[in-house]
Amino acid sequence: MSYVKQLLGMFFLVIVVCGGPFMLYTVKEEIVFAPEEIVVHSVFLIQQIASGSLGTYYLGENERSIAEDIVPFAMNTFKLLFSSVSIAVVASLVFGLFLQRFRMVRQLQKVLNLVATIPDFILIFMSILAAVGFYKLTNIRIITLSPTSDSANDWFPMTLLAIGPTIFLMKVISLKYVQIGGEDYIKTALAKGMGIWHVLTHHVYKNIKPFLVADLKKTIAITVANLFIVEYLLNVVGLTRFIFSKDGGYQFNAAVMGLLGIILLSILVYVLIRAVLYLFERVAVYK
Amino acid sequence: MQKGFNWSLWTGSILVVLLLILGVLGPYMAPYELDYQEKLRNEVVNGKTIIIAPPLPPSEAHWLGTDKWGYDLLTLLLHGAPYTVFVTLAVAAVRLLIGTFLGLYIGIQDKPQRWWLAIENAWSYMPIFIPVYFLLKGININPLTPTSTLVLFFIVLVGVLGAPSVASSIRQKTEQIKESQYVLAATSLGAGREQIIFRHILPHLKEQIIIILVTEMVAIMTLMGLLGMFDLFVGGTKMTMDPVLFHSITHEWAGLLGAYRGFVYSNYTWIFLTPLVAFVIAIGSFTLLAKGLREKFEQTYHRTPFI
Repeated sequence: MSYVKQLLGMFFLVIVVCGGPFMLYTVKEEIVFAPEEIVVHSVFLIQQIASGSLGTYYLGENERSIAEDIVPFAMNTFKLLFSSVSIAVVASLVFGLFLQRFRMVRQLQKVLNLVATIPDFILIFMSILAAVGFYKLTNIRIITLSPTSDSANDWFPMTLLAIGPTIFLMKVISLKYVQIGGEDYIKTALAKGMGIWHVLTHHVYKNIKPFLVADLKKTIAITVANLFIVEYLLNVVGLTRFIFSKDGGYQFNAAVMGLLGIILLSILVYVLIRAVLYLFERVAVYK
Repeated sequence: MQKGFNWSLWTGSILVVLLLILGVLGPYMAPYELDYQEKLRNEVVNGKTIIIAPPLPPSEAHWLGTDKWGYDLLTLLLHGAPYTVFVTLAVAAVRLLIGTFLGLYIGIQDKPQRWWLAIENAWSYMPIFIPVYFLLKGININPLTPTSTLVLFFIVLVGVLGAPSVASSIRQKTEQIKESQYVLAATSLGAGREQIIFRHILPHLKEQIIIILVTEMVAIMTLMGLLGMFDLFVGGTKMTMDPVLFHSITHEWAGLLGAYRGFVYSNYTWIFLTPLVAFVIAIGSFTLLAKGLREKFEQTYHRTPFI
């Protein structure tokens, strides 16, 4: 029951957020606040859903059905989101926890922290500049911005999207690692002569896991925030297409569907990552 | 524990002071008028007549070059500096005021306030960019409203929407301090709620508040940059229809970056790189300052791990 309540609350929130442009607009020199506009549009939206269609949207000049496009778009977004969050989780566990004790890895973290001072969207621009420069120098093409190109590549947007969450999660985990590493039970375990890997998996990992799980939601939130920029700037055909039409007006139906889709996908990604973590524990920790 | 010289703190503070000075004096230091436009002209070089057309690359007349329409980039940047620096500062101040007030009064309550925790929790997952984008979308493009109204509106909107996260960290800290012995002592001596908040808790939050102010400034600048990517500039967007182009009305740095982002694919990369470098320096100096402050305040809690 509480899940249904949460889902309804989410739907309501999405409608309120997407209704922003109807709610706040300018007439002559004044800013008008008219929340009742949302009701009209939402009623129309719900009527359409009730009649079995998700409505239509304009892509350039063409009017297209949302229901037809939403599945392939969602697939692209899901691929991006899931792989980036996985990269973030794996990288921060490996470098923030298991290999943290090596000096080289700590240096790598320092470099990452330095990179983290630059906002993600600027990193994306810089990487585009770098990729273009690299192409001019070596004639090797790293990025393709055309989504229909034969050499359309997924790994470039994936890597870029992974930067933000990786930096965040690695910071959290290595901070906790330093804290937990100073605890007395670690000292005891080491004094008893337990192997370093044993201590890492059975003492450190188990104690870090609650924080990892707690911050996983935040990690996904960061990834979603960056998703908007990555899809927009790198021309990935994903759900954000529905929200930010590059030219043309604002489309309420499409925006609601896009935002809802992204929220549902992030829940799915969360569940999947939890499942992967569970498997990892069964295999590596509690074998 | 005595650590070495705190480089981040010093570089950060010097850069921030320079930025503040630039924010105040910028428009007076600009080499050209704001509407000065470099036009297409013929010039005789070595006996040959050549056409000189904007965009002009960086040269002695234009230190940072001009944009595609012949406007001097340095002038635009200097005129935009006050908006970049002071809008950010104002938003951070609004967030901090609302957040500290809310955080203190909610944190001091005897029972945890469930309604507030629910809001805090839900809001922490929402990228703040999304609601701001949708709320600005309707009013920010080709506005008839005066720029000052729009800037003010932006400050209030972003300030209010960002306040819960500030309130959250202040609340947590307040809850910690509330349990300490001296607050108990003050209560048993008959101190009222206001007395405890302002005489006993607030002084302990001083360091925290300074750090929050600086980190919030970084977050706000990032938000402004993001909005710029989607053609929503602080103080309004001027949109021309044929061809479809977006210009920043205030020439605020994040706005310039957004407006010129298309030039990243052109041969005139300096048009894009100039605001990019300015913006990165601005954001970097606040980040450095935040890092330096944090290092300074946190040295006492450092523990070396055993493994």
